[in-house]
Amino acid sequence: MLESLWIHVLNGLYYGSILFMIASGMTIIFGVLGILNLAHGELYALGAFCTFSIVGFLAGQVASPTGPVTAIIFGLVVLAGSLAAAAVLLPIGGALEATFVRPIYDRDEVYQLLLTYGLLLVLTDVMKVGWGPSPIDVGVYSGINEIPTTELVGISYPSYNVLVILVGVAVFAWLIWFFDRTKTGRIVRATAINREMSTAIGISTDRMFTLVFAIGAFFAGFGGAMVSIGPGSASLGMGLDWLVLSFVVIVIGGLGSLKGAFVGALMVGISSRVATAYYSPLELAAPFLLMVLVLLVRPEGLYGTWGEIE
Amino acid sequence: MSRFLVDRDGETHVRLLEGMELTKGQTVLAAAGLVLLFLVPDITRFTGLSFTAIHRGILFGLAAVGLNLLLRHTELVSFGHAAFFGVGAYGAAVLASHFDVSSGLLLLLGGVLAATTIAVLVGYFVAGYLDIYFALLTLAFNQVLYAFVLQSSYFNYSDGLSVRPDGLNPPTLFGLEWTSAGYDLILYYFTVVVLVVSLLVMWKLINSPFGRALDAIGQNRTRARFVGIPVEKYVWVAFVISGIYGGLAGGLFALLQLHVSPDPTLYAFVSGEILFMAILGGFGTLVGPVIGGVVLVYLLVQAPFYVEYYNALTGLTLVAVVLFLPEGILGSIPKIGTGLARRRRDPGLLREDVTAIGSSLRQSVTRAVTTVRIIVFGVN
Repeated sequence: MLESLWIHVLNGLYYGSILFMIASGMTIIFGVLGILNLAHGELYALGAFCTFSIVGFLAGQVASPTGPVTAIIFGLVVLAGSLAAAAVLLPIGGALEATFVRPIYDRDEVYQLLLTYGLLLVLTDVMKVGWGPSPIDVGVYSGINEIPTTELVGISYPSYNVLVILVGVAVFAWLIWFFDRTKTGRIVRATAINREMSTAIGISTDRMFTLVFAIGAFFAGFGGAMVSIGPGSASLGMGLDWLVLSFVVIVIGGLGSLKGAFVGALMVGISSRVATAYYSPLELAAPFLLMVLVLLVRPEGLYGTWGEIE
Repeated sequence: MSRFLVDRDGETHVRLLEGMELTKGQTVLAAAGLVLLFLVPDITRFTGLSFTAIHRGILFGLAAVGLNLLLRHTELVSFGHAAFFGVGAYGAAVLASHFDVSSGLLLLLGGVLAATTIAVLVGYFVAGYLDIYFALLTLAFNQVLYAFVLQSSYFNYSDGLSVRPDGLNPPTLFGLEWTSAGYDLILYYFTVVVLVVSLLVMWKLINSPFGRALDAIGQNRTRARFVGIPVEKYVWVAFVISGIYGGLAGGLFALLQLHVSPDPTLYAFVSGEILFMAILGGFGTLVGPVIGGVVLVYLLVQAPFYVEYYNALTGLTLVAVVLFLPEGILGSIPKIGTGLARRRRDPGLLREDVTAIGSSLRQSVTRAVTTVRIIVFGVN
C-alpha cells in the first residue's frame, strides 16, 4: 500500500515536471509580455513533432543499447536530440512574436486571446502539412529504460520517468540561474518590472520580448520532446489539454512567478495522479478544484507577483 | 410627426418602442436582416450553403450575445460560457432521456432553468473578481463541470445523451409531431423568433438604468461603488442574465442536434469560441456577436468539406480580423463605408493608400533585417 503510494507520488512528479516545462514558458511570457499565449500548447506539440524527426534520425545513427554503458550513450544522444528539437522552436518563437504578437501589445487583452487562438489553429495545420494527420511515435522509450537508475535503491521504476523528473528540476534550476544571475536575465526582469524605465536606460524592449517569447517557445518544445520520447506519441491535438492544465498551474502558482509555476506544477501533478489512483472520477476535476480553491483563498496565487519574474 | 416617426437632431428616426429609435439607414438594415433571417431556409435550398450550420451559428451567436453583456458593459472576459451553453443542452437532454418529457418547449424550459441555477451559483463566487482572474475562474468552473459530466454515468460519459424522448422521434413542438424536415424548419423559425425577442430584451436591458450602471462598473468599479451602485450584486445579476442567454442557446442546440455530448458543448474551447464570436462580429455592437457566431461556426463546420487545411483558414481569418478589423465585422462596416465614400469623391486618395502600404512594407522589411542582423552579429 505504502509502496504503491510512493509510485503514485513519483508518477505525479514526472507528470508535474512535464507540466512545469510547458507552464514555465507560459508564465515567463505572461510575466514579461503580459500576453496569455493560447498558441503555447501548439508550440509544445511542434516540439514533439520536431523530436520525432531529429531524435528519430539520431537514434538511428547509434546502435540500440545492449548494456548499461551503451544505454547511457543512447540516453545522452536522445537528450541531445531533444535539445536540438527544442532549439528549432527558438527562431519560430522569435518570428511569431515579431510578426504577429508585437503589433498588439497595447490592445485589449481579448484581442491578444483571439490572435493567439488564431495562431493555434494555423500551427495545427502547419504540423499537419509537415507530419501528416495521424499520431507518430519516436520509439526510443524502451531504449531509455535500459539505463539502470532505480535498481540501485532497490525499487523498480521506469528510468525514463526518472530522467524526465531530473530534466524538470534542471530546467527549473537553469531558469532561476538565468533570471537571477545572468545579465540578460536581469535585463529581462527589469523590462518586466518597468517597460518605460528600461527603455529610458537603453534597453530595446522589442528585442527582449522576442527573446522571452523564443525562450518560452523553447521550453514548451522541450516539454513536447520529453513527452514524445516516452510512451506517448506526438499527435495534432496533444497541446489542448496541456494548455488548459498550464493555465491552472500558473494561476495556482501566481501569474508570472517561476517558483509558483514549479510548486503549482508539482501540486497539480501529484494531486491528480494520487487522486486518479484512489478515486478515479476526480482525475480530470482535481486540478481545477485545486485552482478554484487557491483562487478563492488567495486570488493572486501562491507566489503572486504581477509583471515580475521571481 | 406620427407615433412611429420622431424627429431627433434634424433627422427622422423610426420609433419602435419607448426609448428605442432607429435612424433610417438602421431601420432599413434591421428590416433587411430580419427578412434575410426568415429567408435562410429558402436561400440554402437554392444555393450550396448548409442550413444546419447557419442554424447552429445563430444559436452560438445567441450565447455570444449573452456573453457580450459582460464583455461590452462590465468589461469582464468570461472564458467559461460553454458551462451555461452545455448545462442548457444537458438540462434538455436529461429531461428527454431520463424523464421522458416529450414537449420541446418543456425541454427548453428545463435547460434554461438548469443553466440559470448554475449561473447563480458560479456568479456568486466570481462576481468580485476582475480581469484575468475572472477569465480563469470562469474557465475553471467550466472545466470542473466538464470533468464532472465526462465521468458521470448519469450523463453517459463522453457518449452523451440522446434528445429523443421515446428513443426514436424528435420531441414535439407546440404539441404536434413533425416530420424530420418539418421539425428542422419549425425549430429554425422558432429560433429566429427567440433570437429577435432576445435581442430586443437585451436592447431594453442595456438602455435601462441597470445597463448604464453596468457601464459605470465597467469603466471604474471604485467610482461606481462611490456613486452608490451595489457593484458585486449588479455583476452577479448581469452574469446570471448572460448565463440565461447561454442556457437558452444550449437548450435550442439540444433540440436541433437531438444528441448532446460533452465535447461540442461543454469543453473549454467551446467557451473560447463563444468569446471569439463576440469579438469577430464586433463586441461593441448588439447584433455583432450573432454575425460572428454564424461566420465562425460556418468556418469551423463547413470549411473541412472544401479545404484540407481548414484550421489554418479559420486561424488566418481570426488573425486578419485582429490586425485589420479591430472593431469586428459589423463594427467595421461604418468605417469602411465612410472610407469608400471618401475615396469615391477623391480618387487621389487611392494613390496615397498604395504609397502608404508600400512604405510600411519597406519599413517592416528593414526592421526585420536589422533584428536578424543584431541577433546574429550583435550590436555593432
